[in-house]
Amino acid sequence: MPCKYVLVCQNEDCKSRGSGELLEQLSQKLKSDADVEVKPYMCFGGCQAGPNIVLYPQKVWYSGVQQTDVEEIAQHAEGGPVVDRLTHGVEQPLKELIYQLLDAGLF
Amino acid sequence: MILFPEGVPTKHETFEEYCASGGYEALAKNLSPAAILEEVTSSGLRGRGGAGFPVGKKWSVAAESTESSRYVVCNAGEDEPGSFKDRVLIEHRPHLVLEGLALACRAVGAQRAYVYLNETYEYCLNRISTSIDEARAAGYLGRLQVSIHRAPTVYVAGEDSAALEVIEGKPPKPRQKPPFPATVGLFGKPTVTNNVETLANIPPIVRNGVSWFRSYGTPDSPGTMLFCLGAEMNRPGAFELPFGTSLRQLYEDFGGCLKDGAKLKAFLPGGPSCAFLPEDRLDVSLDPESLKRVGSTLGCGVMRFFPERACMVEETTRIANFFAKECCGQCPACRMETSMLSAMLERIQHGKGDPALFNQFEKIIDFNRGKGFCTLVNMPGPPILSAMRLFRGEFEHHLQHGTCNA
Repeated sequence: MPCKYVLVCQNEDCKSRGSGELLEQLSQKLKSDADVEVKPYMCFGGCQAGPNIVLYPQKVWYSGVQQTDVEEIAQHAEGGPVVDRLTHGVEQPLKELIYQLLDAGLF
Repeated sequence: MILFPEGVPTKHETFEEYCASGGYEALAKNLSPAAILEEVTSSGLRGRGGAGFPVGKKWSVAAESTESSRYVVCNAGEDEPGSFKDRVLIEHRPHLVLEGLALACRAVGAQRAYVYLNETYEYCLNRISTSIDEARAAGYLGRLQVSIHRAPTVYVAGEDSAALEVIEGKPPKPRQKPPFPATVGLFGKPTVTNNVETLANIPPIVRNGVSWFRSYGTPDSPGTMLFCLGAEMNRPGAFELPFGTSLRQLYEDFGGCLKDGAKLKAFLPGGPSCAFLPEDRLDVSLDPESLKRVGSTLGCGVMRFFPERACMVEETTRIANFFAKECCGQCPACRMETSMLSAMLERIQHGKGDPALFNQFEKIIDFNRGKGFCTLVNMPGPPILSAMRLFRGEFEHHLQHGTCNA
């Protein structure tokens, strides 16, 4: 069973900014790691800052992710450092709301 | 009554029958725009499409505009699940609606009107188009141009500004407000959009006067309203009742109670966006103020009644899924909220969630309240929160077992 998740938003805005490709590339990069599962997510509500990716249970929110960031995010998912420059895109209250939903098992 | 002599639709009235019973007399009075506006304002008539906005107030905004070109739209884009009152009115009394539209145009100084009609209402399309021809031939429409525009059958297409987008040839998406359509509406001009039932009230008000109209209903909500009862009842149909009538009377005397002698558990008094009320609230009065006092709304008059054996988790999930499907997608908050609520309820229904989910509904709803171009973002909240409060045991059982104990 995987114990860590990389949740990639697949709603309209994020998708129009390339989150479909991000999902695919992250899945490829992390497919050999049994501890990490890359999953599509319906919507995080941070649409204006997308594409959004949330790492759970680490509770790190990446916004405005580009394909050039995939390598670093994959490294973080496997225990590497947080990619700090991508963590400031959305307000704290939204983050709290979404983290609580993830804690309640909604993913 | 005001809309139907017998309170229920009986016959498909012809032009001759309409004229013989006083039809087009209101228009033939040749009242000035100000006089019509004054009558409608003092009648206290409020919109029957769901929002209940005072009609005279909406008209005044357009009438006082400095723009000379103005429009009136008759909104028959009826998509509210369970609602068929607009269809029934146009089928039975198309000339009443048309005369109301013509009076509205005169009051606000519009030279052009649109009947925005649900595209699946084929028979209504024939009825209204024949009526326009008949009224024109008889000279009642003067220089007023009335066109029919077919409305797509998605939920938001009935929202007033989305209707204007469709008439302009664009996809049915609500506009950001303000400006409100009465100021900047169709093709950028002042536009009054009124529901079919609202317009059907105008000729009787103008013909019979304000005190006659106010003899029906309550001081705060004068007049009558058409209530739609569905197939779960012994006598489904549209019933015209004065505001202030007890809901029990509608349920028992008019609707004949639930089929098969089923015991009533709960009801939705105003369509899928209102709060559920338990059976012991059946004595509430049918008027917006009374419904508000007991924590729900009257909406556009669609009543749904649920029997003892109904699974409220399933019913609530169905409502959440409806809003998730009908969200037009242009406002992020609405998209997020409607898809989340629907996913959370699906989890609970199938016993796949965590009890912590229960506390998240209110947070999501509060977080997104009012964040959108239209009010759809506010719609799933009342039914979901009320159902979880009233039938918590059913939700908990579903979450634990994935099955129903109702």
